[in-house]
Amino acid sequence: MPTSPDFKPTPVLTKRIPEDRAQRKTVWFDQYVATGGYKTLERVLSMQPGEITDQVKAAILRGRGGAGFPAGLKWSFLSPPDGGPRYLAINCDEAEPGTFKDRLLVDFDPHAVLEGIAIAAYACQMQTAYFFIRGEYHHQAKVFQKALEEAYANGIFGKQGLMRGASKFAVEVVLHRSAGAYICGEETALLEAIEGKRGWPRVKPPFPAIKGLFGRPTIINNVETLAAVVPIMEHGVEWWKKMGVESTLPGGMPSYGTKLMGVSGHVNKPNTYELELGIPLRMLVEKHCGGMRNGKKFKGAIAGGVSMGVLGTDQYDAPMDFDIGRKYDVLGLGTACPTIFDEDTDMVAVARNICRFFKAESCGQCTPCREGSGWLLKLITRIERGAGTTQDLDMLLEIAGSMGLTPGTTICGLADGNNWAVRTIVNKFRPEFERRVTPRFVPVYVSAAGR
Amino acid sequence: MAWPTKPSATMQVPRRAEPYATAQMKARWTADVLPKYATRLGALMPILHDIQHAYRHIPYQAQLEIAEFLGISPSDVLDTVSFYDEYTIEQRGVVTIGVCHSIACEQCACSSTKLLDCARERLGIGVGETTDDGQFTLIAMDCLGSCDTAPVALFNETLHESLTVEKLESLIVDARHVSPGGQH
Ligand SMILES: Cc1cc2nc3c(=O)[nH]c(=O)nc-3n(C[C@H](O)[C@H](O)[C@H](O)COP(=O)(O)O)c2cc1C
Ligand code: SF4
Ligand code: FES
Repeated sequence: MPTSPDFKPTPVLTKRIPEDRAQRKTVWFDQYVATGGYKTLERVLSMQPGEITDQVKAAILRGRGGAGFPAGLKWSFLSPPDGGPRYLAINCDEAEPGTFKDRLLVDFDPHAVLEGIAIAAYACQMQTAYFFIRGEYHHQAKVFQKALEEAYANGIFGKQGLMRGASKFAVEVVLHRSAGAYICGEETALLEAIEGKRGWPRVKPPFPAIKGLFGRPTIINNVETLAAVVPIMEHGVEWWKKMGVESTLPGGMPSYGTKLMGVSGHVNKPNTYELELGIPLRMLVEKHCGGMRNGKKFKGAIAGGVSMGVLGTDQYDAPMDFDIGRKYDVLGLGTACPTIFDEDTDMVAVARNICRFFKAESCGQCTPCREGSGWLLKLITRIERGAGTTQDLDMLLEIAGSMGLTPGTTICGLADGNNWAVRTIVNKFRPEFERRVTPRFVPVYVSAAGR
Repeated sequence: MAWPTKPSATMQVPRRAEPYATAQMKARWTADVLPKYATRLGALMPILHDIQHAYRHIPYQAQLEIAEFLGISPSDVLDTVSFYDEYTIEQRGVVTIGVCHSIACEQCACSSTKLLDCARERLGIGVGETTDDGQFTLIAMDCLGSCDTAPVALFNETLHESLTVEKLESLIVDARHVSPGGQH
């Protein structure tokens, strides 16, 4: 049971990363080891791999990449080892607009990520791990490559087995740079990209845990998810479950632990903060981000990456946990990186910007997404110019609502992001949109005969 | 996502005598890249990165050379080249300026719109274009994962944060002296 959290800063993943940007420096191997690094890996190597999965499962570590799927459960779906290769793919695509959290870990504590990778690879007996990083993260790729070389030189990875042969199980880690395509953050598009193909999401099933990379069982996890495995194995499941909040939805899954929250937009101190899940957005902004910029009023926020849609003016108190989707009519917690808007923000422009993004990034595979994203952008641009009608507004909602996995018309969740972003902005800020469009009167004729 | 028109079957691929995929590159790919992937096609993205980095584009001749090296069909190479924004068939300028125009950068005090206007005016080109002297390519990019220090822009591989119009102008002035292959 979480003790009722007071939401003080809780450096778990960020214990080696100061909040003050000016003081941040990359923690290299020696310093990482001097501060207790790789001890947890060494200890867990004496455990049975299955025991580690059980603990991660018991901790209910929910995926930090957007969907919130429990990592331990995902790991337990892997088909049993058959002697052939099994893969781990680490998702560092981080291209969801408004999101900047994995970057922090890779930039400043890359070995913490590598330790998480090693533990997961051992737990699920995966011999090769691909670290998939977006092409635009040039600096981060260099930092990660250097840390990886250090880890090899110190026998963490390599042919002799993990931790200088403490375990016979050998793991290879490969850095794979993407080349500028948001869709490759989707887990099966990511696998296609590693295979050298265009990033077209695959039709599921089969799920990657059964048939993934190069046709073999594969686990895909976000960077932050894997980094969180280390403290869970270090301090134990009970310790982890003391942080965060229970779900208040019937049959809901709890939101345990801490979460990196990159706050941007109209606040005084935009930055990446680590806090317990469940912190109300208002507290996050007022207490940690120094309040709204220029003393302006809160108008709305993107919940956690543009795909999640927006929180309205009256939803400032929404707790940042995995219940948020069902309780506050957004798609979900997403990456938990909110972008905050003040009273002066033009929500029509916000919607247009988001529609432009989705149109540019749709992979083109499914008609509702490829065509729908274009129509949405056209409609919203027309409304922004002042040339729209009330009918356009309804059409906007209708098209948006027909796109995605939820209405069952597309292969992947990119279209759902477009759907939720548009519908939540229009619904929650409808008067603003109505002021921009020309009402369209439908002539009504009343028959004189009825009198 | 970008889909170029397929060159017609009768198109002559422009060729130069010297190969783009040099013996040195091929040796490195054989030693360092191929062993990391279960299939030869798997090595394609790292190889394309090398070529794009070296020549600032991936001309058709290079695509044919890569296809031959990997033993895959040229259309597979074109397919991947055309899908990813970082791979270009036309040559990019010595310095590619990528201004982020996603939500946090557009909605901040010095909005990306102002930055893009400034860059367009200073360089005399539109977004997606390259200057006649081949020095600059201007592109608008989506969220660069640095929204807390918005607005931001990439000059080749270097990220510049908390930009203002004045800062961007002086970065452009400095970048005029960057030579091909020179670091920025
Ligand atoms: C369009 C789209 C983009 C995505 N982008 C990312 C991303 O950049 N990083 C990420 O970790 N997950 C991303 N995801 C979620 C992944 O598909 C997947 O759920 C996640 O990597 C699994 O890791 P986790 O369970 O540890 O969160 C994206 C999903 C979709 C549909
Ligand atoms: S939903 Fe959109 S991005 Fe996803 S597979 Fe279909 S077309 Fe591609
Ligand atoms: S919106 Fe520009 S860096 Fe995120």
